Amino acid sequence: MKRISFIVCLVVSLVTVPVGAISKEQAAAIIDHCVAIKDDLRDVQRADARARVYIGGKYEMILNGFVKPLNLYLVERNISRTDLVESQSLISETRGEFVNDYVDYQQGLEQLVSMDCKEDAEQFYDKLVRVRKKRSKVDQDMKKMDTVLNEYKVRVLKMKEGLDARKE
Amino acid sequence: MREKNKKKIEKGARNLVVLGVLSTVVALTTTGVALAIYHNSGDIYLDRSRPGFLPDEEEIQQDEGEREDDDYVFQKDTVLDTEKMDEFLEKLQEEIDAINAYEKPFGEEVLSDERLGIPTTESAAGKNE
Repeated sequence: MKRISFIVCLVVSLVTVPVGAISKEQAAAIIDHCVAIKDDLRDVQRADARARVYIGGKYEMILNGFVKPLNLYLVERNISRTDLVESQSLISETRGEFVNDYVDYQQGLEQLVSMDCKEDAEQFYDKLVRVRKKRSKVDQDMKKMDTVLNEYKVRVLKMKEGLDARKE
Repeated sequence: MREKNKKKIEKGARNLVVLGVLSTVVALTTTGVALAIYHNSGDIYLDRSRPGFLPDEEEIQQDEGEREDDDYVFQKDTVLDTEKMDEFLEKLQEEIDAINAYEKPFGEEVLSDERLGIPTTESAAGKNE
């Protein structure tokens, strides 16, 4: 019984305790600079939209202009390259994560911008901390994609070396 | 006869009103559903034609410049030799470099306390002491 009540208390405290602790100075700064903070956040939204369209377009371009056509070429000629097929699904999967995490982050940012920071600075800061975590997830997706793309390049290079060896 | 015509006109007018109301309800419902899909799918965050999200002049010029260089697509009907592979790898590297040239697009400092003018937890604690 004690154990159950301990677990219930733990869950309740985890749900209700705000993510970011806030001092009086921080709360005062949020209330004082509420309009400026919101303007900054709107600027971030605009810059993010530009970055998302550009980078998303590049990912799409790599997938549809390089990875998929090369794999299709190899399949049509019965050349087995399981490593390149694996790369294709990894790139596709990482792109999907990037797209979903970006939407999740933007929804959070949108809610943050629409919040009244003068009314409840603590809740606003709490939401800001959560939005930061979501943004860092998008950043991690980009880092993962960079690793996956570099790995893909190494695999293609290996295939090229195989062609060179066959030529000799 | 007159009475019959009057009834017919009244009925027609009522039907016209019902038709108008129904069309409005259908239009509002379909628009609402479309907007909900537009928002929930995340397409709204990619739509740069929204007020306040329009690309600036410098960006438009940059895009036009990029459009002039044709996008590379690996041709399936080519013979795959080392030259073709070299071209493939070179173009792939160009795309990767273009992504890396966009410096930390989702870096954490943009939403940091310092950037937003909020005193950091440490500095606030220091003041309190």
